[in-house]
Amino acid sequence: MGDSGISGRRSGHLSAFVYFSCVALLTLAGVGLAMLTRPAFGHDMLQWIGLESVPQAQATSFYARRVAPVFETHCTSCHGDKRQKSDLRLDSFAAVLRGGKHDAVIHPGDVKNSELLVRISLPALDDRAMPPSGKTPLTEDEKTVIKLWIAHGASGSLRDIPGAPKPVVEVEIPKLDPARTEKQRAPLAAQMLRLQKRFPGVITYEARDSADLEIDASLKGRSFGDADLQALSPLAARIVAANLSGTAVGDASAPVLAAMVRLKSLRLSGTKVSDATIHALDEAKTLRSVTVVDTSVTARALAPLRARGVAVYGGGDGP
Amino acid sequence: MADRKDQAFGHLDLLKIQADTRRHFLGWGAGGLGALFMHGAFAAPAGENAPLNFNRNPATPLSVLPPQFPAKVKRVIYLHMGGSPSQLELFDHKPILAKFHGHDCPESFIKGKRLAFIQGIPKLLGPMFPFHRAGKSGTWISDRLPHLEGAIDDLCIIKSMKTDQFNHAPAQLLVHTGDPRTGHASLGSWVTYGLGSENQNLPGFIVLISNGGTTANAGKPLWGSGFLPSVYQGVACRSAGEPVLFLDNPKSVSRAERRKVLDAVDEINQQTYREFGNPETVTRIAQYEMAFRMQLEASDAMDIHREPKAVLERYGAEPGKTSYANNCLVARRLAERGVRYIQLYHWGWDSHGTPVDEGLNVGLVKRCRETDQPTAALLADLKSRGLLEDTLIVWGGEFGRTPMWENRGGQEMEFIGRDHHPNCFSIWLAGGGVKRGISYGETDDMGYEIARNPVELRDLHATMLYLLGFDHRRLNYSYQGLDQKLTGVKPARIVSEILA
Repeated sequence: MGDSGISGRRSGHLSAFVYFSCVALLTLAGVGLAMLTRPAFGHDMLQWIGLESVPQAQATSFYARRVAPVFETHCTSCHGDKRQKSDLRLDSFAAVLRGGKHDAVIHPGDVKNSELLVRISLPALDDRAMPPSGKTPLTEDEKTVIKLWIAHGASGSLRDIPGAPKPVVEVEIPKLDPARTEKQRAPLAAQMLRLQKRFPGVITYEARDSADLEIDASLKGRSFGDADLQALSPLAARIVAANLSGTAVGDASAPVLAAMVRLKSLRLSGTKVSDATIHALDEAKTLRSVTVVDTSVTARALAPLRARGVAVYGGGDGP
Repeated sequence: MADRKDQAFGHLDLLKIQADTRRHFLGWGAGGLGALFMHGAFAAPAGENAPLNFNRNPATPLSVLPPQFPAKVKRVIYLHMGGSPSQLELFDHKPILAKFHGHDCPESFIKGKRLAFIQGIPKLLGPMFPFHRAGKSGTWISDRLPHLEGAIDDLCIIKSMKTDQFNHAPAQLLVHTGDPRTGHASLGSWVTYGLGSENQNLPGFIVLISNGGTTANAGKPLWGSGFLPSVYQGVACRSAGEPVLFLDNPKSVSRAERRKVLDAVDEINQQTYREFGNPETVTRIAQYEMAFRMQLEASDAMDIHREPKAVLERYGAEPGKTSYANNCLVARRLAERGVRYIQLYHWGWDSHGTPVDEGLNVGLVKRCRETDQPTAALLADLKSRGLLEDTLIVWGGEFGRTPMWENRGGQEMEFIGRDHHPNCFSIWLAGGGVKRGISYGETDDMGYEIARNPVELRDLHATMLYLLGFDHRRLNYSYQGLDQKLTGVKPARIVSEILA
């Protein structure tokens, strides 16, 4: 009786094997159920234990260059690392392909059944439209980019898709480097100061990040003549734009102008310069525009400049 | 010389004291220890990110400063068509809207939306005038602008401008100051603050107004300097009579006598400045002196009598009158004289269809006739003189007009009109650094929403400042604890697609 009681108690115990088996079974069932209801979790698990490789997009791919930035702009604030509405993340190639709790949002090659494309294409007033009302909708070009990418197999390696809208180019602002600029300006800095004091308002640096100079004597009128321009000749090689319109400058200044070897724009309207000055500019390879309205300069003298693609205003057959 | 140096230092000290607010004090109280600790880690940005220095000798507040990087343009002529011309009658060709002319407008256009005057369900209104392609670029334009059509290959038309204001005054303020409320610095003020003015005998920022019967809705704040020193505000000049009221000496006062009076006033102002150190006092002295110099220069710049008859005819200008044509000609003369920012306003484009002069079929036609020839003449004149290369011309209103026929009070109206429409409008740019003969951006088939490449006003501002040689984020002025900037706090984008 006592024995059977003991053995009965023993039979009431689970063996360690059975116990751990049950725990393992329940765990697996739990994980399995979770994998079924939340595919994202399933892929996470499989990828975590190494049974599934993590899809990666190449940095040079159409996806990385064109598609990912669109998601980044419009989607990842709700479908990213901070929030994962509907368990959907769009901040990595793997996550995009994986989809959310309502299954995959992209079916490679199948534009019509790709929920993501359907949602971003709905009219803004539709309750199911993405991004939701109030947020900036995707531009037509952005939608086209995503559509083409899905139609071409939602690849992470494909580089270019023919017919894709041109990428938007952002303007790059030149970076300032005051130390470098100061160094470039140093050799002529003393001269510059002296001449700026002598001709107030006539000489300025082209920009804060530049050692190149612009001269504008047009407001000095007839009080600025050949001798004054001659005085600026130490700076000549640095001058990229010269406006001498309406000054008393004449052909005597031709050598000084010719010494401005980096000159891009020259204005001589209403001055006494003639063809002789224009001939002196034959070597000015950087010249892009010359203005000689109300001068005696002839079209013939200007022809070589025009032939070189220099924009010419006035002179001879000028308007 | 030493005196000037003192002035400059005094000015800096005062600015520093003004800039130190209670907020700074409290900030230091709370964060001071942490700041001491972290000083090494977050030292003030130097080099490429350091704030740009706009300090000048207060006695010459308009002296020229170089731009941040080499600029594409040196000056701006802004042609503002006050009241807002209809894009659907001038530049935005909508054949499909024409097909639906007279139909009820789709519910989605008005559901949950607030319009300025339209009530109930309005009818769609097709374009009132025929469109055709023009120029080598094949740009669409209506038949209302035959002269401008000649310059179509020089224009860069943006058809996808948008704003968030649908009333004139705030919308105009947004266009010209970057903010719909008063108190902000206007574009012209920012530009003269950043670059100064080439001509020290004229204001750097001049405003010319025509069709004054309907005045500026937002008034003088459109060319105000806001928080910037007042010397950078626009000066409104008249194209008939004295250019600036009360600038000329009274009849019995000679120029020499005026000089004596000014010297005495300057002396008193200098004393006041030494006592209180307010830079606005020095600004005041500078402005008196400029007004004295302007007595000669301004009259000359504004005097279009001196222009040859052929030129007057090309513009349609008539000396002695106040007109848009005269103002266009004056604008060219100012551009030649180194004025940095020239602002024209021509009013009367508010085509609601309420009074006859606001009808699309009457008022708009008249406005086109008043402005078309002079605008085209200005473009051609600047081009032939080589000035269009480094000048930027901007043409536009403050918002667009609806594709719906306005039915104020739910009634059909006697004259045909369109309501205010902030969602999309057309402007054009021409000149240095901008692509020529292109159209940028698209609206949808009904001309109701932007379909491609939207451009916010702050994007336009950023682009204009870029052409003038500035990163819009770094043209700053410290005020109320913020580094104020024209483009405000929302991100702005330089519209790279229209840059040449």
